[in-house]
Amino acid sequence: MEEKMLNEKESLELISQMILNTRKKMEEGNGMPFLIWGYATFIVSLVVYYLLSTTGDYHYNLIWFAIPVLGSGGMYFSKRKEKKHSKTYIDRIIVNIWTVIGIAGLLVSCAAFFVRIPVLPIEMLLMGIGTALTGLVIRFKPVIISGFVGMISCALPFIIKGYEQIIVFGIVFLIMMVIPGHILNYKGRKKHV
Amino acid sequence: MFKYLNPLLHSELRLGIMSILISVEEADFVFIRERTGATAGNISVQIEKLSEAGYIEVEKGFAGKRTRTVYRITEKGVGAFEEYVDALKSYLNINQ
Repeated sequence: MEEKMLNEKESLELISQMILNTRKKMEEGNGMPFLIWGYATFIVSLVVYYLLSTTGDYHYNLIWFAIPVLGSGGMYFSKRKEKKHSKTYIDRIIVNIWTVIGIAGLLVSCAAFFVRIPVLPIEMLLMGIGTALTGLVIRFKPVIISGFVGMISCALPFIIKGYEQIIVFGIVFLIMMVIPGHILNYKGRKKHV
Repeated sequence: MFKYLNPLLHSELRLGIMSILISVEEADFVFIRERTGATAGNISVQIEKLSEAGYIEVEKGFAGKRTRTVYRITEKGVGAFEEYVDALKSYLNINQ
């Protein structure tokens, strides 16, 4: 492309071509955030389950706060490596969705120290809502479905009693975030080939 | 009647840059260079013209240790782009 005058038809063609090319470039999948948060939650769930079930010391619940630490750290390094050259409206919507969901999730976790509330189902419902909304915004079925699976699964901790709830919680995150994260990355890689 | 075609947008590279920026929230220099395939020098000159007209805003920052300049279309730029497309339609007899 250079500095030259166009006729009217060429101008209109150029506009539609550039917009289409830019949109196509934007549709490349990026499942890294789902993988980072999904694996972080799954691993922390296993650790908390092991420590609580073997010792019974409720202080080990503080380890749950390793999820935001691991997740934020992972996101920081992933963004540094990613070198993204543009930001779309969709990117902004997704960041805002997860900012709201993240703050809500953190508030629920903190509130659980003062009030007796079913933290695990509330977190599953919140993260399921975030995942489903993300799927709807990026128009990607596996993410929409996994989000709704997460939302429905919030009933499981009411059925399963005891520390096993924690294992179920971890597995739900594996299904809700890790699987669609890998599918998104696979689709993204396929587009590059 | 034919409408006025804004000469600032009626050039291949400037129109290409505006079309890219209207599809995204922000883009950096590398992205614009990749999408347009133009030379860095030529892009800089055209971006300067668009920026002087108030069609795009330029934000200089850092990505790690490297400098990174980000470009965004302004409200004035969106208005000019819409007027330009409307004018094109009048030339091409496209119903509005």
